[in-house]
Amino acid sequence: MKIKYFFLAFLSFSIFSGTVYEFSSDEDEKRFNKLIKDIRCPKCTSGSLSSSNAPISEDLKLKIAEMINEGKTNIEIKEYVALRFGKDSLYEPELSKETYLLWFSPFLVLLIGLLFFLFRIRKNS
Amino acid sequence: MKKLLQLSIIILPISFFLIFFILLTEENQFPGADYREFDLPVFELKILNNDVSIANSDLEGDYVMNVWASWCITCRIEHPYLASLAKNGIPIIGINYKDEKIDALEWLSKYGNPYQLIVQDYKGTLALDMGVTGAPETFLVNKGKIVAHYEGEINDYVWNQVFDPIIQERGMFK
Repeated sequence: MKIKYFFLAFLSFSIFSGTVYEFSSDEDEKRFNKLIKDIRCPKCTSGSLSSSNAPISEDLKLKIAEMINEGKTNIEIKEYVALRFGKDSLYEPELSKETYLLWFSPFLVLLIGLLFFLFRIRKNS
Repeated sequence: MKKLLQLSIIILPISFFLIFFILLTEENQFPGADYREFDLPVFELKILNNDVSIANSDLEGDYVMNVWASWCITCRIEHPYLASLAKNGIPIIGINYKDEKIDALEWLSKYGNPYQLIVQDYKGTLALDMGVTGAPETFLVNKGKIVAHYEGEINDYVWNQVFDPIIQERGMFK
């Protein structure tokens, strides 16, 4: 019997050991879970906030939850993070003058390949 | 047209290689240093020694902000250098990061206090707003704006490489 109480006490500790983030709607919670997967942990070489329990990641997750509850948009939250921890803290780089090359060069290569291919077909026929 | 396409097969990879080579080998800033300018975050916290409230608007002029904690080993190594900066008339404001007040005060009485005042950031909220990922970190503040940020221990070499050029450029601490 005593052992049963011991296990009960032991289990209750582990159930409440994680940080609980509170949101007003399921949608907000989904947004939070998506955001912490899209944002890199500032202290890790490569790992998302969701995969990290470094103190700074815990703080940042709390801040993101707070911002969601304040009604901030995903863009505003990502801007907050990028301004403080650098643009590389976002897994998906934003579209800006500096990243045009990154975003559009694959399409350019594809276009040239396609032109080359069409040219060859026309020549052979 | 055919010539042009054939030529592009050679030119394109070379130009990509060159572009990325230039972008990736760009004369980089000092590792750990960040020169993005942003406003000192809005905060209202307590001063470590006397529990009086302090806000960002209470801080005036140019100063150095140093994030430290009694649990931080590197801060102890950095400490004598901060003392020498303070001796040379550089105002340093401390941010006591996620630390117990008693430990922090004991640390200061043991090793000396180079700070003009110390903001107590028990939860690390101000530090998070400043982009701090650990301790020690040092910021240069010019007229309410953060103009340089260094992650890690500062010493004579780092000061001369990272902070001094900005101080000279902006005519700070005169």
